[in-house]
Amino acid sequence: MFFYAWFILILPLLGFIGLSLLGDKIPKKQAGYAGCLTVGLSFLVTLTVLGQLLGLAPEKRLGHVETLYQWVSSGSFKLDLAILIDPLSVFMFLIVTGVGFLIHVYSLEYMKDDPEYSRFFAYLNLFIFSMLLLVAAADFFFLIVGWAFVGLASYLLIGFWKEKTSAVLAARKAFVMNVIGDVGMVIAALMIFQNFNSLSYMDVFSAAPDQFRTNDDTMLMITLLLLVGAFAKSAQIPLHTWLPDAMEGPTPVSALIHAATMVTAGVYLVARCHVLYELAPYTMYFIAGIGAITAIFAGTMGMVQYDIKRVIAYSTMSQLGYMFLAVGIGVFSFGMFHLMTHAFFKALLFLSAGSVIHGMNGEQDIRKMGGLRFAMPLTHITFLVGAVCLAGVPLTSGFFSKEAIIMSSWHAEMGNFVFWGMAVLAAGMTGFYIFRVYFYTFIGKSRSPETHPHESPFIMAAPLLILAFLSLVMGFSAHWVDQFLGPVFGATAHHYEDATLETIAVLAGLGGILTAGVVYMTSQDKLEFAKQALAPVYDLLFNKYYIDEIYDFLIVKPVRAIGAFFEQKVEKEGVDFVVDEVGLQVREISRGISFWQSGNVRTYALSMLVGMVTILFFVVFL
Amino acid sequence: MGHQFVLIISATIFCIGTAGFLIRKNPLIMLMSVELMLNSVNFLLVGYSSFLKTLDGQIFALIIMTVAAAEVVVGLAIILTIFRTRHELNVDHINVLKG
Repeated sequence: MFFYAWFILILPLLGFIGLSLLGDKIPKKQAGYAGCLTVGLSFLVTLTVLGQLLGLAPEKRLGHVETLYQWVSSGSFKLDLAILIDPLSVFMFLIVTGVGFLIHVYSLEYMKDDPEYSRFFAYLNLFIFSMLLLVAAADFFFLIVGWAFVGLASYLLIGFWKEKTSAVLAARKAFVMNVIGDVGMVIAALMIFQNFNSLSYMDVFSAAPDQFRTNDDTMLMITLLLLVGAFAKSAQIPLHTWLPDAMEGPTPVSALIHAATMVTAGVYLVARCHVLYELAPYTMYFIAGIGAITAIFAGTMGMVQYDIKRVIAYSTMSQLGYMFLAVGIGVFSFGMFHLMTHAFFKALLFLSAGSVIHGMNGEQDIRKMGGLRFAMPLTHITFLVGAVCLAGVPLTSGFFSKEAIIMSSWHAEMGNFVFWGMAVLAAGMTGFYIFRVYFYTFIGKSRSPETHPHESPFIMAAPLLILAFLSLVMGFSAHWVDQFLGPVFGATAHHYEDATLETIAVLAGLGGILTAGVVYMTSQDKLEFAKQALAPVYDLLFNKYYIDEIYDFLIVKPVRAIGAFFEQKVEKEGVDFVVDEVGLQVREISRGISFWQSGNVRTYALSMLVGMVTILFFVVFL
Repeated sequence: MGHQFVLIISATIFCIGTAGFLIRKNPLIMLMSVELMLNSVNFLLVGYSSFLKTLDGQIFALIIMTVAAAEVVVGLAIILTIFRTRHELNVDHINVLKG
């Protein structure tokens, strides 16, 4: 019925293959257009699928598995190359291809001067394909394949500017962190196969409730192992350190992969496996707790950074924390809704930041910006839209999605006031850090008068405007999203009304904005004084809680030491020594014997004679 | 006089050949000594052939003579080449193939 949905995946794959093979041979412009076209077409196919899906009754929208062919058939183990079409996967398709398309268009201009233009678009297409495979997979096997592919695409794109050492190191770090998650996922998949004898979502999810009691040990183990992958991909504590570093990549990459789509894969995974998670409430509490802690923790780090992209990166971590909080307390569709609004306004913020960086000729330090509202009026507006959405100012999309989560964190069955308090605190921080960047960047006078910022051309502005529009209005689709995703999660999430809590949460966000304003207005001397007074805290935050240093001390250094030990002691003094000694000894022994071969013919003759006589003697007389 | 005569003659010639091979340093003479050893065997074969009234020994002697002729051709060629390159013929000096 939805067999043509395969085209959603195949088009970007074709784009990737085509651009990889022919990218150097076709003109630069065409390469970029080709990259955009495949994703655009993919988006159109997704819209068609959506239309057809909406034409069905809600309960008939689930579980459309489209099999291309059977890939493995080995004994009882069967594996189909199949995709799953249901509201959740189509919802993700829309975000990935829609936001992906806008960012492709934006990149046409942003990467214009890069000599490896076609390689960039090839990688972007590869990423879109991998992400679609991840969300479309109908079994855990292809989920992991897609999961690993997005890790690869992320690695390639973070390290896209390969002549920059910091970019290459950041790419490596991201890859290693993600592989830690992959290992957890693979073990989880093996355990699932062991217990259910199948990897297909359909089989596993229908068998799980009958086969396991709530909080069964095996189920806790499986869900926690899946979570290792989810946390690594979605940059949750303690596997978060790669995300801020990933900002070394080009800005469209940060917007697409490290804000809008890939990092949300963890949230998608929990939502997709909600059947398993509902059987493991302990794990759910764990998710909610980690999510809430990450939301605050990332917020505090974001408050003191000066790199415009890094602040937004910490904000991404913080918002992902919200999403995990939502799925952790069981309101999956609110988590997915926040995922969508976040994809819009965070992509918008990143692209606006990219526009600023573009206009400032590569400058990323907000201390050197200022007063850009005159030079870049359009970017100013779009950034402001993104900022108010992120801060949750009423009637923007961020408001609706975040309020729903904050309300549920108190009122939902698994919610409590601790989660609520943490969520509200994080909301206050959100308002503070994003408006700190806003004030630094766009208000006041320019701090580096020698640069002449310029507004970005139309082709970069158009995606900004579309995203700004979506960020503003998509909040009103909350009810529709809830209805659409409801069948997947068994029931629509209950929307709690509580005027007091709502007011407090809104005030927290606005308070954050106000604080940012006050801090910004305060003269530099007083700020310095405050910085001195709070020096220990400030240093702790500015150095990101020294987590990189701690990991370096606890993991990287010991591993290096072990490596050095093996290289020196085991390899050189062990294996090499044995091999060399065997060779040397054989040579020494040969040298001892070789004098028999004197080269003297008469000696040989005498030896022969003596030998013959001896043999004859024995034969004849004995 | 019976076959002891043949045996004694043959053994004597063989010993002369062997001694010549071991004592002399000229490869040409050594080659001749080898021929002597071969022919002592031939003598033995032919002697016993007539003694036992069979032709086997004589046929075998013919084969040995053929092989000896072929061997001498190769041996002489080698000796000739050695002489051309080294301008001397002394087996004690031809020892470059030592280990």
